[in-house]
Amino acid sequence: MLRASIETQGEEVDLRGLTDGKAAGESSISGAAALVDFVEATLGGNADEIAAARDLVRSELGSEALVDAAAVIGNFERMVRIADGTGIPLDAAVNVATEEIRSELGIDAFASEERKSEVATWQRLMARAIDPLAKIGLRWQGRRASR
Amino acid sequence: MTVADVFGTLELCAVEVAISMSLDSAFQYAAQLEDPIRADLVESHRRSWARLAESGTWWTGPERIAIAAASRAAIDCALCRERKEALSPFSVTGAHDGVSGGGSEGLVPEAAIDAAHRIVTDASRLSGTWVEGLAEQGVSDAHYVELLSVVVSVRSIDAFHRAMGLPLEPLPEPTPGGCEPTRRRPPTAEKTDAFVAMLPSRKPPGEDADLFPGPAPYVIRAMSLVPDAVRWLKDLSGAHYLSMEAGQMFDFANGRGPLSRAQTELIAGRVSAVNECFY
Repeated sequence: MLRASIETQGEEVDLRGLTDGKAAGESSISGAAALVDFVEATLGGNADEIAAARDLVRSELGSEALVDAAAVIGNFERMVRIADGTGIPLDAAVNVATEEIRSELGIDAFASEERKSEVATWQRLMARAIDPLAKIGLRWQGRRASR
Repeated sequence: MTVADVFGTLELCAVEVAISMSLDSAFQYAAQLEDPIRADLVESHRRSWARLAESGTWWTGPERIAIAAASRAAIDCALCRERKEALSPFSVTGAHDGVSGGGSEGLVPEAAIDAAHRIVTDASRLSGTWVEGLAEQGVSDAHYVELLSVVVSVRSIDAFHRAMGLPLEPLPEPTPGGCEPTRRRPPTAEKTDAFVAMLPSRKPPGEDADLFPGPAPYVIRAMSLVPDAVRWLKDLSGAHYLSMEAGQMFDFANGRGPLSRAQTELIAGRVSAVNECFY
């Protein structure tokens, strides 16, 4: 989802901020470092750290964005537990499309990764063939949205 | 003649939902914050509290609230901290802190309390074998799915509060005279490639047709053994993230409000990574 949303902007995809919070500062996404800091503070910080992170998001992105960011944090505190609690595997298309990224970002080391299914060679080849078309489609979606 | 004679059991429950929906005094954000909280967020949170107070499909209202209380107690639980550090979360035994509280001791099986704690503090290391073992301890797969929906719904609202610097909302009182759980198991649910049975990907038949319109990803179907858990999920997700029905999920170029879609997904991905969830 993140990769797709960045590709609609025609920008270079850098997903390191997902697993390395410090790398978020190099992201092309506006306010990325503040948002990642807000997530980390909320999930593991004390009240003062959360307040400081909140102030940073508010000053960089505004009060309404702060509220929406808090809601998205709440949403995924729910979704990750649904996925882990029910043991659902990755949907086949996502499993194939994210195989390289998961390896690059170290997501393969997560305990829950044991639930993934193996990607067949034909699926890998098909994904490589489709990938350029998907990028064109996403950029078209981005251009259409910006009109 | 009683109300049940007039409306029947199903409708009686609907009346009780309407009564419990009068939780208008809950989630008074405007009095606590200067940041503008969207009305749909407030409404979704109030509906969640109304659902929580009601009988579900497998647990009664008091039982659901006891489960919610246990999930909150997990945050400061010493046993959970010890387990989190252990090589295997199943190698450490003991009693959870603040097991029930609020006079709800013994209301639900110990296995349910343990499940609520594990879902909150160490979800990425849960296993199918463990879920199967719960049945022998009084928590069937359907009980477990409903328990999961209670825990994750409360957890998500609590996380929003924590992020915004708000105190936790007091849990609701059970709806007086709540109806009995219906214990309805969707006939087409089957156990395939997850810990629990789910509805197949195609549009569900009959009274569950509203859950999803057609081929649905695992994450939508995950709790479909208890259809009301999916309805609760859709309600909260529509307020917290994106509507699961309005096509917003596949519009990668637009966010729903001031956050761009990329900013939204960055937050989503970082929360998942911190929780060590690969999904």
